[in-house]
Amino acid sequence: MVKYTLKRVGMALLTLLLIVFLLFVLVRIMPGNPFPSERMSAEAIAAKRAEMGLDDPILVQFGRYMVKLLHGDFGNGTSLYYGAPINTVLSTAISNSFRIGGIAILVGTVVGLLLGIVAALNRGKFLDGFCTVFSIIGVCVPSYVFLIFLQYFFSFKIPYFPYFFDANRFLFSSVLPSLSLSLFTMSTVARFTRNEMVEVMDSDYVRLAESKGLYGSTLVRKHVLRNALVPIVTVLAPLIVDLLTGALVVEKIYGINGIGKLMVDAITGEGVDYNYVLALGILYSALYIGIMLVVDLLYGLLDPRIRVSAKEG
Amino acid sequence: MKRTLATLLAALMLFGLTACSSNDNPATSDGGAAPSSEGSTPSANGGKYLNVMLSTNVMSLDTNLATDGDSFEVIADCIDGLTQMDAEGAAIPAIAEDWDISEDGLTYTFHLRDAKWANGDPVTANDFVFAWRLGVETNEEYGYMFGDGVGNVKNADAIMAGEASSDTLGVAAQDDKTLVVELTAPVSYFPSLMYFPSFYPINEAFYSGLAAGTYGTSPETYLSNGAFVLESYTPGTASLSLKKNDTYWDADRVKLPGISYQVVGSSDNALTAFRSNTLDVVTINGSQVAAAEEDSELSSKLKVTGAGYMWYLTFSQTDKNAQGGMLANTNLRLAISNAIDRESVVDNYVMDGSLATYTAVPPQFAASATSGEDFSADQKKFADYCSYNVAKAQEYLDAAKSELGVDSFEFTMIYGNNEGDEVANVAQAIKSQVEENLPGVTLNLQPMTKAERLDKMQNDNYDVALTRWGPDYADPMTYMGMWVTNNANNYGFWSNAEYDQIITDCTVGAYVTDYDARWDALYKGEELVMKEAVIAPLYTKSNANLITDGVSGIEFHPVALNRVYKSASIG
Amino acid sequence: MNNTPYVPAKEDFQFLPDRDITTDQNFASQGYWKGVAISFFRNKRAVVGLVIVLLIMFLAAFGPMMNGYNYDTIVSVTSDEGKQIVAQGIGPQISGVIQGSGKNAGLFPDHTFLFGTDDMGRDLWTRTWQGARISLIIAFVTIIIDMIIGMSYGLISGFFGGMTDNIMQRIVEIGNSVPRLVIVSVLAIFMPKGMVLVIVALLLTEWIGMSKISRAEMLKLKEHEYVLASRTLGAGSFHIIFKEILPNTIGPIITQVMFSIPTAIFTEAFLSFVGVGIVLPQCSIGSLIEAGFNNITTLPYQILPPIIVLALLMLGFNFIGDGFREALAPKLEDM
Repeated sequence: MVKYTLKRVGMALLTLLLIVFLLFVLVRIMPGNPFPSERMSAEAIAAKRAEMGLDDPILVQFGRYMVKLLHGDFGNGTSLYYGAPINTVLSTAISNSFRIGGIAILVGTVVGLLLGIVAALNRGKFLDGFCTVFSIIGVCVPSYVFLIFLQYFFSFKIPYFPYFFDANRFLFSSVLPSLSLSLFTMSTVARFTRNEMVEVMDSDYVRLAESKGLYGSTLVRKHVLRNALVPIVTVLAPLIVDLLTGALVVEKIYGINGIGKLMVDAITGEGVDYNYVLALGILYSALYIGIMLVVDLLYGLLDPRIRVSAKEG
Repeated sequence: MKRTLATLLAALMLFGLTACSSNDNPATSDGGAAPSSEGSTPSANGGKYLNVMLSTNVMSLDTNLATDGDSFEVIADCIDGLTQMDAEGAAIPAIAEDWDISEDGLTYTFHLRDAKWANGDPVTANDFVFAWRLGVETNEEYGYMFGDGVGNVKNADAIMAGEASSDTLGVAAQDDKTLVVELTAPVSYFPSLMYFPSFYPINEAFYSGLAAGTYGTSPETYLSNGAFVLESYTPGTASLSLKKNDTYWDADRVKLPGISYQVVGSSDNALTAFRSNTLDVVTINGSQVAAAEEDSELSSKLKVTGAGYMWYLTFSQTDKNAQGGMLANTNLRLAISNAIDRESVVDNYVMDGSLATYTAVPPQFAASATSGEDFSADQKKFADYCSYNVAKAQEYLDAAKSELGVDSFEFTMIYGNNEGDEVANVAQAIKSQVEENLPGVTLNLQPMTKAERLDKMQNDNYDVALTRWGPDYADPMTYMGMWVTNNANNYGFWSNAEYDQIITDCTVGAYVTDYDARWDALYKGEELVMKEAVIAPLYTKSNANLITDGVSGIEFHPVALNRVYKSASIG
Repeated sequence: MNNTPYVPAKEDFQFLPDRDITTDQNFASQGYWKGVAISFFRNKRAVVGLVIVLLIMFLAAFGPMMNGYNYDTIVSVTSDEGKQIVAQGIGPQISGVIQGSGKNAGLFPDHTFLFGTDDMGRDLWTRTWQGARISLIIAFVTIIIDMIIGMSYGLISGFFGGMTDNIMQRIVEIGNSVPRLVIVSVLAIFMPKGMVLVIVALLLTEWIGMSKISRAEMLKLKEHEYVLASRTLGAGSFHIIFKEILPNTIGPIITQVMFSIPTAIFTEAFLSFVGVGIVLPQCSIGSLIEAGFNNITTLPYQILPPIIVLALLMLGFNFIGDGFREALAPKLEDM
């Protein structure tokens, strides 16, 4: 297992390097200018490009970038937040998005799993139908529409929560955005849990366990849930990445300077800010690969029969 | 059953926690590093802060790097230049108590008052010399304001081209309180340039003491000499606050204890935030204006102000585009321009008080120094070439068809989909009107980001573009300079020797000293642009603001600084 | 042997009289799919779902033609002063029966706008069904292709495991961890904007979710006894993957498909942020919801039709999905 884990981690790092290079190339062919200007002369812009080293061979540029990156430096923006080092801007954005996204994931997963389990245990009854309708609404209504309603009722009609995000009152002002973001996760997890549980509950080994006299919590915990969890973890992983890397519209509406808004600003501002797009892209990839790694390793723990290691290969 | 659920709940909580723990670590470590300075509790400073909406993030507080109106506004709250804007937009003394102009109009001598930076240093002439040299040397977006055609500061162009050292710039500190500026040609509106942020001072000792690239990135790295000091700000923040600067030379005039800015991404949200008293000053979009006008409570708080910039269509005239250069045909361009019902566009789709515009230079920002009359007050001036007249448009189209020997045209119009709520609607309206009024013309829409739109226009890779331009300074030249042969903003690649001559004469040539003759020459130039429909002007943008009762004295300007709060007060 | 040919007699073609014989009831052997269909239609919810989806499909196909407006027609009149007045922001109105709201409503008394008009003065009924049409096309095309690609990919990757799985999963990671906005805006250089670009953009990223699910299912199922049995009997890998395991993964995959539909619809709306979505004045459910959201304080009724259509579609597809799942795996039938 240790050997497998190490191998898997090494592989992940290699993948990440490949992705950084891919991103590096992609960013340079994106439409839009890294130094947008309606007033500067072509010569002045060319001089700035040369200064940034954008005219050097791509491998030279990449090497230079990697050296900086390994020192933990993302450089400076080219068109976004001029002059400020990306690290400063990024750390605030990460902290905001991670915390709000983290709460949303926690709430969404816990409530979603509970809902799913309750629905599965009450299959065909009222609670099951409620769960179905709830999860459909949760997936249909975009989180930002939900946020608008929450904002309208709980910051405007009953002014209990702040109308805009305020970093000084972090927990208080993350209630509305986190809640609205958790809805999609909640619905997806609830639906999946319910379906997986139902399937497992119908399987022979659960029937066997039942006929042995097992019932109630022990049965659900030991036999049903454990087997139902594997696919749920799979569904959850990309949702986690998406939530942590920020929800653009929610951030825009609630005035949160988070990762999602930063990414869109970097692409759709006056120009395309190569360095921000790269930094955010690398962050996103690293998160994704990291979480996938955890999921792969979790498989083994959740279902001892599964060993993804090279048993057959 | 209940026990089942309780056990499950516990188990799931645990699972939920482990699933997230991998992400909690970076969050907490960043939480420590993240400055807890965003937002503010207004009551901290005694009086109530004014809560103001910004439409976009503040991109930079560095006078040389900032490029957008919102950044300029915050910079001007904090830093005073030689002059400032009065309520009508005219230049009045600020750091400069008064100034002398030499007889040939080539030398300005500014006498500075005893003003202080917020750290106690006196504001000296050298602060200006330092800032200007830095500005010309770095030559960012607004570096051109120093150069020939606008500021005409001596040697600025040579320095920007890298041919001279920045020491040779025509600006010198005669003593601590006297600043001498030398020009290459007289500039009639020079004092009004001085309130533009590019010409603001920077405290050299303070600037040099900072790590490279950190100037203006936090309250600690930013030094005010103006009405307010930065209280909380980080780059990229959605909320920032300023508090009153007690060492400001004109501190008595400043009534506000501070300003708290909030970036609001959707104007829909702005209206609700205004209603909930979260914000005192907001800008709303057109459809909300219609609703607000009918609402008795809101209509009295509505204030429409000129935003300055003009939206217009530009046509690529090169062979590369538009079916092999079809739009190089003047009649075809005139046909399109005359087929657009600008009044309908403004009334039905923009709806925020914006003005339908029929002149290449929009109204409301450039008044004559001698008569005081707005350069573009008369919107019927070019009615022969630009009006809504379907019959005439079709005549032009028929002429174009026979000249080109083609019966149907299909062009693509590009526009930015992130440039304001109404742009997509305006684009659709234009498509609908042009296609309905001009049989045989198809106008396809292509939305894209503003970055991509600019890129396409600059690389001449478009047929028709919906674009905008805002005045940088209060003179028609801020528009007229764009259509000179080979100007970077001449997106149609139009070239006219007569026009070029007029512009040269008006910037550095025969007319620079004769104000009225220059004004007339500019009209002649504008007529050339309109006659050939180099562009099709559409409308001049207004902002529809809602201002809470009791707030008064905010000055709105269509040019340079959109909002000034020095005289503002709450109730 | 009697070689005399048999001559059919008349009686051979007459019905036999009813004979009262008690025999075992013999069921005709029923095809697999016929069985599925029978148990599907026996499921009330599934039938309701089917009706909803078919109804929406019917309206998406013919709704835009039901009144005189095109989806991009701006309804307007010319006032006495020669000004163009547009029928914008008029609440639902039926000519002569229900009077719509809005400041210009009085000027269009003889028009029927069942869902009202949007902020541009276009009929929302037409636009809603036009949008449903576009969204359904996009959703179906992407999801079907995604399902084929993603499912095969995930199943193969999970079944073979080891090096194959490792390499295939790294490819997935690379594909999935490049932010979508970057991929899409690069893609837009090579293709004209519009529906095809949206579909390609969705294809590039959406199949991955499907492959993850089927891989996870495969990892779970491949150790089961029936797989071993099949292998012992000499079945090849591909037979096991597609004939033995695939039918057993159908449950989670159908759930995933159902949930992919709104994802596809919303992703399409999101793409317009980088200017890659549906090109106006064309519309989709996603772009209509976005437009409604932009006008939610002034024209609150504008967001309702697209969001209700989307919710109904989801509900319908979910019911159908459940019905299929239960019909395909009869063991799940309610006991």
